Amino acid sequence: MRKTELIQLGTDWFNQRDWEPLDFQVETWEAYLAGYHGILNAPTGSGKTYALLMPIVLQFINKHKDYRERTNNGLQAIWIAPIRALTKEIESAATQLCLEMGLQWQVGVRTGDTTASQREKQLKQMPEILITTPESLHVLLARKKYVRMFKKLQSVVVDEWHELLGTKRAVQVELALSRYKGIRPKLQVWGISATIGNLEEAMEVLLGSDVEKGQHKMVFADIKKEIEVTTLLPDEIEKYPWAGHMGLRMLPHILPIIKRSKTTLVFTNTRAMAEIWYQNLLKAEPDLAGQIALHHGSIDKNLRNWVETELHSERMKAVVCTSSLDLGVDFRPVESVVQVGSPKGVARFVQRAGRSGHQPGATSRIYFLPTNSLELIEASALRKAMQEGNLENRFPHIRSFDVLVQYMCTLAVSDGFFPEELYREVQSTFCYNSVSPEEWGWLLDFITTGGSSLQGYDEYRKVAIQDSGLYQVTNRRVAQRHRMSIGTIVSEPIMHINFVSGKRLGSIEEYFISRLNPGDIFGYAGRSLELVRVSGMTAQVRVSKKRATKIPSWRGARMPLSSQLSAMLRFKINEALRGDSDEPELKTIYPLIAKQQELSHVPSESEFLIEKMQTEEGHHVFMYTFEGRLVNEGMASLVAYRISLLQPITVTIAMNDYGFELLSDQEIPIETAIDSDIFTADHLHDDILASINAAEMARRQFRDIANISGLIFKGFPGKWKKDRHLQSSSQLFFEVFNDYEPTNLLLRQAFEEVTEFQLEENRMREAMNRINEQEIILTYPEKFTPFSFPLFVDRLRESTMTSEKLEDRIRKMKLELEKD
Amino acid sequence: MKRIDTTWTEAIICGEQLWLHPDKALFWEREKTLFVADLHFGKIAHFRKAGIAIPKEAAEPNWTRLRQVIVDFLPEKVCFLGDLFHSSYNREWEKMGDLTRAFASIEFELISGNHDLLHGTDYERVGITVLEDAVVRAPFLLTHEPAETIEAGLYNLAGHIHPGVRMCGLGRQTLRVPCFYFAENQGILPAFGQFTGKFTMRPKKADRVFIVVNEEVLPA
Repeated sequence: MRKTELIQLGTDWFNQRDWEPLDFQVETWEAYLAGYHGILNAPTGSGKTYALLMPIVLQFINKHKDYRERTNNGLQAIWIAPIRALTKEIESAATQLCLEMGLQWQVGVRTGDTTASQREKQLKQMPEILITTPESLHVLLARKKYVRMFKKLQSVVVDEWHELLGTKRAVQVELALSRYKGIRPKLQVWGISATIGNLEEAMEVLLGSDVEKGQHKMVFADIKKEIEVTTLLPDEIEKYPWAGHMGLRMLPHILPIIKRSKTTLVFTNTRAMAEIWYQNLLKAEPDLAGQIALHHGSIDKNLRNWVETELHSERMKAVVCTSSLDLGVDFRPVESVVQVGSPKGVARFVQRAGRSGHQPGATSRIYFLPTNSLELIEASALRKAMQEGNLENRFPHIRSFDVLVQYMCTLAVSDGFFPEELYREVQSTFCYNSVSPEEWGWLLDFITTGGSSLQGYDEYRKVAIQDSGLYQVTNRRVAQRHRMSIGTIVSEPIMHINFVSGKRLGSIEEYFISRLNPGDIFGYAGRSLELVRVSGMTAQVRVSKKRATKIPSWRGARMPLSSQLSAMLRFKINEALRGDSDEPELKTIYPLIAKQQELSHVPSESEFLIEKMQTEEGHHVFMYTFEGRLVNEGMASLVAYRISLLQPITVTIAMNDYGFELLSDQEIPIETAIDSDIFTADHLHDDILASINAAEMARRQFRDIANISGLIFKGFPGKWKKDRHLQSSSQLFFEVFNDYEPTNLLLRQAFEEVTEFQLEENRMREAMNRINEQEIILTYPEKFTPFSFPLFVDRLRESTMTSEKLEDRIRKMKLELEKD
Repeated sequence: MKRIDTTWTEAIICGEQLWLHPDKALFWEREKTLFVADLHFGKIAHFRKAGIAIPKEAAEPNWTRLRQVIVDFLPEKVCFLGDLFHSSYNREWEKMGDLTRAFASIEFELISGNHDLLHGTDYERVGITVLEDAVVRAPFLLTHEPAETIEAGLYNLAGHIHPGVRMCGLGRQTLRVPCFYFAENQGILPAFGQFTGKFTMRPKKADRVFIVVNEEVLPA
């Protein structure tokens, strides 16, 4: 069949349903049929699924004249989705398309939810289209004789690639693709991605280095959706709090929005906030009972599914949610979105706005609710960044040796591998392109002997080398353990929450439960619950009539300000000070910025502000980079470290998105420090590593790495080990490697991940360079300023940096006595 | 023999001269007895057995420290105040035999604690006398867990709790450090073993607390 005829066939199918294929859909079909790999840049709900399902079907029709009769064709295409919720929608679209195009194809889903019997059935006879998640790809690669399954594979589509990119799950995809290409060199690879700052790089990561130049294409859907941003302004800015993240005072402002919209999604930044907002909404408007629900990642799947069904069927007035509803299928009834507190990133804000207004031509409506005064400037910065299309990058992981160790073991568990062959495949991925032969040798050594520090322990001799040179796991116990621990999503230690009757409610971080005693009342999933007892990894609860006194805080839920937004913020602060802006946010904030100017100074874009003051607590120095919490944490440690080289001193550090605080019992010699060039970008990497935080952070980071690389076994189902054990033993590994094998690749990875992802070294370097070109303004305010006050009251993570001897510090301290 | 080392700190309890060693051991001058509590040897091997693999090197520093403390004081008797060995038998126990053989002239005894689960023969073999919980060596009453009732005239020496205290200073500095904790009629030793965690005590004014800071024991 000619290509035009094929395209016509696809168009006919659209026409039968009274649809017209969109330009980008046809463009994608053509690119696919011409044999290109590529990326389709399209938002959710744009018809992107058909853009890539269709050509897969057309290709098959083109190759097989008897396509209507052919059954049992083997696995033709794999569709990878980041979340299970998406798989259902794709499954029904694919099933319908195949049927109506006259194909005798099976469409199968394989995720963590798939039943054992369905999985067995799939293994016996693979469906033509398999919809699955990155983890499941690797589970399949751990099966004996897995190669057979992929003998007919034509293409792989990775949906929502931007969501995966920047996580280790993307690395799993890269590795799986490299293996499939080893089996099927002609495999076609396509990704679907929403707009991000680095689309080109996203494509490079997906396709790897073995795709020839000119063999790939990027297709843009180019669907512009109108987004209307309204900031909810506090009535009296003078009385609105300078600090805080809850914003409940603004709650009355959103009641009318909920009333006049068919359905409203209220996004909060943390699960704890979602719980609190839900309870307060109900208190403020009891009539909403039954028409309002709570949705976040720790709530049981069944409950979440119920909420989603109710959303679809227009029975919900409002749902308070977290990033749990960022993704997934569209809810047509949603007319308005409220964002409580700064979303901290432009892309996230756009994504959330896009969850409203699905009727053709409808506008997405998002209301921004500032939780403290300074967030008004963020609102204005967000709008400007959106207008300029200045979206964040997603940085891909590179050299994730933990995932590689796991992958090597996975292949060794199934059919084994030959090192030279595998090395070539692995090197073709973006992630492992720079792995040297020496490093590869270390990895082989590590999986066969445990490496130099774990030598002599049977449990680390996982993989045996056969006479033929094949690397294979021969020990059944090792194989069984490995199959069970495939996956890269590691979270905080999690406990189940069940009613005493056994009914499941959801999960919660062990950290929170460990601080409660039986009888304590806490808020969860919108109810007041009493802790009855803890048994194993389950917390048993009953409903309580009493008011909850504690709300769980889920760690790691707070996102740092992105660099896109940071840049806009610095710009907007100045605009606010000029007082001539038309923007309502900037007009409203003006008195506060004027106050900052009166008490201290408002830095222009060419200035760097430092404030120094003394209180009963000690000597404070505040510095404002407006670079986000992570960069501030790194900068604070670094600056504290460099100051501590000048004289013996102990400094406590606190930071937020705007700046950081150094606090000491003695005067901080900031004037001398500025003269001695503490902001230099020279020796940055070494100084970061030398500052104690890097080591402490690497230790924390290492827990995940130890888990993923299989150093630690999480236990068999039903008898999960207590995670606390895990933590302490991963720390022991960290210490032993640090002391005895500093070249250990997994150890080095921990440090690299910290500098790249947690401290964002590159961003820090840019910030340092910028500061070096700025004029440093040092002020000595008598009172806390609008900038310093939030740092003073709302300390996120505190840590201490010291160059004093412990003995000297202790001598200045007092014993904390029991309070009378 | 002159025993005084600048890193030791003297504490007089019930008129008895005690030396507090920064390696978390206590020496009773008159009876030439060395007290050590909560050593938790074998913990690492225990984890390994439970499927949590921990490199063996991690266990070594504790044994070195114990040998050093014994050499420092050259006591006539070493009394372990419980939790000597963390678990049921594993090979790490054989190191105990090496130690007692190396110091054959010293008497070793153990006030049995909640973690001491080895067979009697295991102790016998390495030359450790096991004593019931609560032994009187006037003026001291020796137990593993702090005694709930203490006869008048006796002073209880115990372990089990792994005591620590919180120190605070200007600039919102706080530190948690292990300590020797002497209350009115009860003294609690810090845990000797590493990786054991500590319990933060809430000291009353009259309590005497000696904190262990690196190479020093300091009165707090």
